[in-house]
Amino acid sequence: MLNPDSMKPIYVQIAEWLETEILNENIECDQKVYSQYQLAEMFNINPATAAKGINLLTEENVLYKKRGLGMFVTAEASGIILKKRKNTKLKSMVADIAKEAVQLKVDEEELFEMIREMHRKEKGEGS
Amino acid sequence: MNAVVCNELIKQYGSYKAINELSFTFTENKITGLIGRNGAGKTTLLKIIAGYLLPSSGEVRVFGERPFNNLNVSAHTIFIDNEMSFSNGLTLFELLETAGSFYPNWDRGLAHRLFSYFSFNPNQYHGNLSKGMRSTFNMIIGLSSRCPLTIFDEPTSGMDSPTRNDFYRALLKEYIAHPRTIILSSHLLEEVEDLLEDILLINSGEKYLHMGIEDLKQHAVGVRGEAETVTRWISGIQPIHVQEMGAGMTYAVIENERSKKELEEARILGLEIAPVSAEKLCSYLTKQSRGGIDDVFNRG
Repeated sequence: MLNPDSMKPIYVQIAEWLETEILNENIECDQKVYSQYQLAEMFNINPATAAKGINLLTEENVLYKKRGLGMFVTAEASGIILKKRKNTKLKSMVADIAKEAVQLKVDEEELFEMIREMHRKEKGEGS
Repeated sequence: MNAVVCNELIKQYGSYKAINELSFTFTENKITGLIGRNGAGKTTLLKIIAGYLLPSSGEVRVFGERPFNNLNVSAHTIFIDNEMSFSNGLTLFELLETAGSFYPNWDRGLAHRLFSYFSFNPNQYHGNLSKGMRSTFNMIIGLSSRCPLTIFDEPTSGMDSPTRNDFYRALLKEYIAHPRTIILSSHLLEEVEDLLEDILLINSGEKYLHMGIEDLKQHAVGVRGEAETVTRWISGIQPIHVQEMGAGMTYAVIENERSKKELEEARILGLEIAPVSAEKLCSYLTKQSRGGIDDVFNRG
């Protein structure tokens, strides 16, 4: 699940994995998330690295701390994650697509059609 | 609390300084990787910390005490390397049973579970083990002793790849269940980096850097592209590493202090920007002579 060749540090990958778990509703609002030690065991990494990933999500208000009990998912978590992913991940992927399209001399209409088709397919398979 | 403190440590053999004014602190209950080329002084440093060697000058403190000739420190420290010698009069089983009496935290159950997992013959002798099996046995002693300071000097030498992976996993699980200060020296940084919290990189007996592994991995970036474009883009700074790639291409490694915008501009110029692994970065940083092995063969 972790990609060692990624430009992204391991702790960011841990944070993103937790985000995906929250988006997929595997961990729900006000539910406890994995501890740094559980994550360390699951991904075979140093617990301090796992803690860094958890801290990242705490700073972004995706998780909150209950003293002595652990880290929990905030009510706003999935909204925050969706917004962040749209603004960063999706936008940069679209930028890559646009760049490639220009290089390959694919015009707007053709590009839109490709995206529309993929989007429909993805939604169709998802339901 | 600090587990290990070294202050301007020097170890001199004749006029040769194996350790040269080394100062650092390891805080308690962290796993630190000690990295360096062959002959960098790793083993000398570890033996000083373990109390096997007396430093020529400077200060070393383990749990606040001088380790040399110190019973208290030696009861709380274990040093595992492939030169460990055990009595030839005792079988492996007897060695395991005896080891417990030296270490107050010894976990007999763990020792025996690991012993049978790795299919040791209890009636064999340590001297007759293959290199890999000997390392594996020593590792079992190292993990089961549960010493507050556990030092592994190249623990995986001779181990095959599945055994190395088992060892890393066992080390991590043991560390999570029973936190302790662990120093791990290894040539295989790529294999162990995920286990580490910090890295101490030494070169010619001197400290090169001491930082968190995650920071190290973001310390530098590699730039690949047309030689001229690369040279222009990195102009004004001293690159960590430069390499001709052939066909007019150059690869350069620089400190990662460019802004996102600058990196984006580089991409538009057709330069490829990629992370530099901790292992590669360490080897670039500690390159002993300019050029590379190719220069040995280019006698013009």
